[in-house]
Amino acid sequence: MKTLIIISWRNIWRNRTRSIIIILALVLGIMGGIFSAAMRLTAEQQQMEDALKNQISHIQIHHPGFVANPEASYSIPRGSELAEELEQMDNIWAVSARTVFDGMAASANMNAGVRIKGVNPDSEAHTTSLDELLEEGTYFTGEGRLPGVIIGRELANDLNCHTGSRMVLTFQDKNNNMVHASFRVEGIYTMTSKDFERRTIFAHREVINSHIDHPDAVTEIAILLNDMEQYRQAAREFQEVWPDLKVRHWAQLAPSRYHNLEILDQVLIWILVIILLAISFGLLNTILMSILERVNELGLLMALGMKRSKVFSMVMLETAMIAIIGGILGLLSSYAMIQILNTSGVRLPGAEGMEEFGYASVLYPDIPVSFYFETAVVVIIFAILAAIYPAWKAIKIPPAQAVRQE
Amino acid sequence: MKTVIKTTRLQKVYNGSVAPVTAVNDVNLEFYEGEFTAIVGPSGSGKTTFLNLIGGLDKPTAGHVHIEGVDISTMKESKLFDFRLRNIGFIFQSYNLIPVLTAKENVSFIMLLQKRPRAQMERRAVEMLEQVGLEDKLNSRPNQLSGGQQQRVAVARALASKPKFVLADEPTANLDTKSAFNLLDIMLRLNKEENITLIFSTHDQRVIDRARRVITLVDGAVSEDKAVSAEKNV
Repeated sequence: MKTLIIISWRNIWRNRTRSIIIILALVLGIMGGIFSAAMRLTAEQQQMEDALKNQISHIQIHHPGFVANPEASYSIPRGSELAEELEQMDNIWAVSARTVFDGMAASANMNAGVRIKGVNPDSEAHTTSLDELLEEGTYFTGEGRLPGVIIGRELANDLNCHTGSRMVLTFQDKNNNMVHASFRVEGIYTMTSKDFERRTIFAHREVINSHIDHPDAVTEIAILLNDMEQYRQAAREFQEVWPDLKVRHWAQLAPSRYHNLEILDQVLIWILVIILLAISFGLLNTILMSILERVNELGLLMALGMKRSKVFSMVMLETAMIAIIGGILGLLSSYAMIQILNTSGVRLPGAEGMEEFGYASVLYPDIPVSFYFETAVVVIIFAILAAIYPAWKAIKIPPAQAVRQE
Repeated sequence: MKTVIKTTRLQKVYNGSVAPVTAVNDVNLEFYEGEFTAIVGPSGSGKTTFLNLIGGLDKPTAGHVHIEGVDISTMKESKLFDFRLRNIGFIFQSYNLIPVLTAKENVSFIMLLQKRPRAQMERRAVEMLEQVGLEDKLNSRPNQLSGGQQQRVAVARALASKPKFVLADEPTANLDTKSAFNLLDIMLRLNKEENITLIFSTHDQRVIDRARRVITLVDGAVSEDKAVSAEKNV
């Protein structure tokens, strides 16, 4: 075996340029694979974190009528008690009972259609970290002559207002009467989704409920689970417990986002496969060339008594060595690349457009250490698979014919 | 004398592009221990094919090759590889050393495949390279050696594992006169000292003049089998 290793090792350095090129291809392939995976994972994580934590949570419960008509009249019966009951459950991290409906926000000279969310400041902060998203202003301090609202940066820009600006919200009360209420912009939040910033206003639920003449109104209960992976099971269980309500998990609440992620996953897997296939064919070509150049020599080895299985192993070993060198260098280069990009960030092309759909414009790619090894193993497996055909060709060389070739 | 190789009605037919070509035709020969035999004949007379058949590198179309009573023409390939490794040494026309191994490693290679003890292997490789006058080239790679030196390494490799016989296919064809004589001297000496049977194909008169037995092939068949007195050659 030792001799086989020595011969294989020396063989791969017989044509240095060729070996270095294929090693470089492997390094770049691994870097490409890890980079695309890191970008995908990070984009997914950043988007999911934003979407789930700051916007939709893991599970939401509504009155069935609210799904088609988000109006205050579709309140969850005994919603506050239900929220309290949920808060006591072991698998739940946070619960926010809200009064949600659509309305119109107007500043001195502009207006816009918005979704108004009446929230309990403490439980909302616990559920969506709204208090941490504030770019300016304060978080429901209760100070000032007018009750406060928290609005998104995009809406503030659209309505040309700032903290302290007066804002009139128009909406229907529980009896479908139009209500006009004055508020003061107390804080301005920012988040990844510019669409959410433009459309969503937060106000104190007590204030909102008093305006709609429904002090106990709760039209939406947002739930954050301890273990996000349990979202499907938990939603199913809640639905069984409260069959009269509509329980939906995040993939049902934001299906397009969920499917986008699924598609992105598929696309990136195929990109990875294509990269690896391209490398494998390059490797196959290189090894095949080196086999064809060595027909005489390989035939000699067999003529001298080296078994075909050993010749096969030798060719495989040569490929494995190239793949291992390329794999290790690829891993180290990828690690360095990800560390650098994790600090500097990667600005995505067309970033502004993507933000509208909830994607971050700058990603700070990161990836679990295990993924480096998984990628390297996959690359090495692809490389070894690529070597099978040339190795098979090598052992098919008739020794008698090979040793006669000049 | 002990028979090492015996061929019986040995025949090899190749599928030519126009018609089948009979490269070896009904050859019945015996080779004895310690012989120094030249197989001669014009190009295309079947010398190399005959050597490949008795060396187990090729399968006969008909007939048999017995090596010390063992029929190798019907042997399974995996057994044949092993048989070749343990019993037959080869020297080829175009040196055929393993380019990535040093002279010493090349000479050790067969013994290594035979799984000989390392110390014994190294001692024998050095000894053989000394015998062929290359004691100062132990660690040289083939591309650092001249053609004659490479062929001497090939001779050392073929003989190092003490095979039952050595087949040399036109070993001097690519050598200048001085190198050819030098190689022949070495081969003759080792043939005597190690009592190894040597059979080589050639159309080089220098080699034919030194052989003790000359077999002439014409169109794949034996046309002459002549013993030459030992005194003439040594």
